Parts: sequence; structure tokens; C-alpha cells
Amino acid sequence: MLTRRDIIIKWSSYAAACLLLLLLFALLLRDVELFGVRMFLPPLFVGVVASMEDARAGTIFGLACGVLCDLTTAGTFPCVYTLAFTLAAMACSALAKSVLQPGVLCSVAVTALTFLFVDMLNMLALFLRQRASFGAMALLAVQETVVSCLFLIVCHPVLWMLHRKFTL
Amino acid sequence: MKDFFSRYGVWILAVAALFAVALSAFSYFTSTSTVLENAAGVVTSPFRFAAESVGQWFTDKQRYYKSYNDLLAENAALKQEVAELRANARQADRDREENALLRDLIGLREQRRELELESAMILERSSSNWTRTMTLNRGTAHGVARNNMVVTSSSEGHLVGVVTEVGLNWCTVQTIIDTDTELGALLFRTGDAVIAEGDFTLMREKRLKVSYLPADTSLLVGDYIVTSGLGGYYPSNIVIGTVERVETDENGLAQYAVLAPMCDFDTLTEVFIIKSFDIVE
Repeated sequence: MLTRRDIIIKWSSYAAACLLLLLLFALLLRDVELFGVRMFLPPLFVGVVASMEDARAGTIFGLACGVLCDLTTAGTFPCVYTLAFTLAAMACSALAKSVLQPGVLCSVAVTALTFLFVDMLNMLALFLRQRASFGAMALLAVQETVVSCLFLIVCHPVLWMLHRKFTL
Repeated sequence: MKDFFSRYGVWILAVAALFAVALSAFSYFTSTSTVLENAAGVVTSPFRFAAESVGQWFTDKQRYYKSYNDLLAENAALKQEVAELRANARQADRDREENALLRDLIGLREQRRELELESAMILERSSSNWTRTMTLNRGTAHGVARNNMVVTSSSEGHLVGVVTEVGLNWCTVQTIIDTDTELGALLFRTGDAVIAEGDFTLMREKRLKVSYLPADTSLLVGDYIVTSGLGGYYPSNIVIGTVERVETDENGLAQYAVLAPMCDFDTLTEVFIIKSFDIVE
């Protein structure tokens, strides 16, 4: 059982690790494009952390990440990330508790699931607004998911290490 | 002793005088030194050489240390001078860039006196693959407002986008290739009114489309599309881009043109924000 102090340290460590990974990404990979798309990291953090933590904590983390993303990043509509990340965190937590044990495979699956939520909302918004081609949007969604999953090579070990340190 | 001088003094003086006269006469009539001088020279020569050598050695050492110290001081002074020159060169580079920017600004201001411009730097480009926005370092504190147009910092001032969000010292610009863009435009050659709008598929090619083309319009590749300024919402005659190709929409009923923006969004670093403008009739 973690004390209040331990819980604060754990989530501060998660936040610091995410910021550090974002900084690393901004310094090294910011302008790198594969298949014409760039990596998008926040869904990785939400999916991986939600799959490792319990449902309530994971959902709150997803909500916090979503609010931060909406405040700092332009989206297809104003609360797209808040909505998508909260729902995705709940789904990832459920998936990790019932189907997959937390690990590399689970991280890939939950990241894809998080991107699914985000991209579905993006696609819906763009389709309703300007009848954008579903094929083109689906292609971008798949490419973005695949390219971003590559960063799990760095992201998963860091977050997994923190999880083990504070939980196991 | 007193007896010695009183007894032999005269003789000694006489001998000395004779000796002196002999030496004088000898030196007068010969070109070499006297025997005595020669002898004295030979005997003292090694000592003089040794003394001179030691003296020279000391002098050399003194000179060496003096030169070394001088060189150290000179080296330090030169290093400082090089550092100052490098700093000046860097400053000159910065001044040159700023000068070029200000010349462009003056050029644009001279050409477009009706525009009130604010220069800005791009702080960040959007990280999402679904939108194309950028963040600038100017906000309400600098008089920037929502819907202000943003143009390139070149003297031509090509359209970059429109300000959609403003903070105290930042603003978000929705670029013209973003899917939410919709602008009233004119085909510069013919004066036909059209709509320039972002398109999801074209956004990935860094292009936008020109729709609602009049039925009798004949578009040519390279035709300029400029802002119409109709309604006074945006300034007129800002170049959006050139026609790259003409295509038919999915229904096969209407045509649209693919527009290549005049600016390269990936390499832009500085832009101008049009804070206000006079409507030119």
C-alpha cells in the first residue's frame, strides 16, 4: 500500500519522465517524418501509463494529459484530446486488466487503441465539417499509429521502470 | 721607504719617462701593439672572453625572459582582440540579417502603406498530423488580435495564414493549408471571385484548393490567386499562391484548382502580422 507521499512521488515521476521524453523527442526527432507523418507522443503516454496503473488513476492521468494537450496543441475541435484520452485511458485500463498483461505487447496494443480513439474523433470532425475522404483519413491514422509506436522502444522501458519501482 | 724614494726616486722617474717615451715612439712607428700590451692582452684574453660569455649568457637569458613575457602579454592581447573581432563578426551577421528583414519590412510598408505590420518569430509548429498551425511570439501585448492575417517577411508579403488564438505574448496561426481555412479570393489575371480553402488530402501535399470556379473561367497553370478583401474582413491583394493544376471533384460535376502556396512553411522563421489595414477602393 502506497502512502500519500509515495503516490505524489510516483505521479510526479511519471510527469517528469513524460516531459523528459517530450524534450528528447523535440531535440532529436521533431522534424523526422516517416511516410509523410510525424510521431505524436501523448497517446503513447496515456495508453502505456493507463495500462500499468489502476483504472481510476489511469483515467485521471488520461484526462490530465487530454486537458494539457487541448490547451497547448491545436486539434480538429476544441476538446478532442480531453475526450479521446479519457475514453482511451478507460479502455486501455480495461484491456490491460482483462485481456493482456502489462508488457511490450500490451503497450503496443494500448497505444494503437489510444490512437484509434483520437483518430476516430478527428475523422468524425473532419468528415462532418468538410466531407473529407475517409480513405485518406484512415491512411493517415494508420501511418501515424505505426510511426508513433516506434517511439515505444524508448517510452515503454522508461515508464515500465518507474511502474516497477513504485508498484512492484 | 722614504730613503728608497729619496735615493732612487729620480732614477725611477727617469726610467719611467724613458719607458713612456719608448712606448710612445714604438706605437708611433709601428702598426701593431706593443710587446707589453700584446702580452697583457694575451694573458687577459681568456678571462675577458669568459667574462663576456657569461655576461652574454645572462643578457640572453634576460632578453629571453623579457621576450617570453612580452609574447605572453602579446598573445593574451591578441586572443582578446580575436575574441572581440569574432564577437563583432557575429554581431555584424545578426545586424545584416536584421537589416535585410527591416529592408523587407520597409519594402513591404512602402508598397502596402495601408497595412500596419508587426514582425514575429515562429516559436513552434503544430505537432499534430491533423492540423497545420504555428505559434508566434506576439500577442495582445503587441496589438495582435484574432483574425489578423500573417504574411511572409519578404517584401512581397505572401499569405501564411490567419491568427486563430491570441494570448498575452503568443498567438496561434492557422496556416492556409489547414483544413479549416476558407478565404475569399480573386483570380488575379481575370478578377474572378473564388474561394480558397484547405483540404484534408491536399494538406498532406502542402497544398490547398480553389473552389467555386466560375463556369467560364479559363485557369492557367501559374495563375496568381490573391485575397479578395471583399467585405473588408481581410486586406486585399495578398498573394495566396499559384495554380498548380485543375481537377474535377469526386462527383464529376465541378472543377477545382490545386493551389501551391508561395511560402515554404517548413523553412519559415519570421513573419509579419497585419494588425490593421485601410480598405483600398
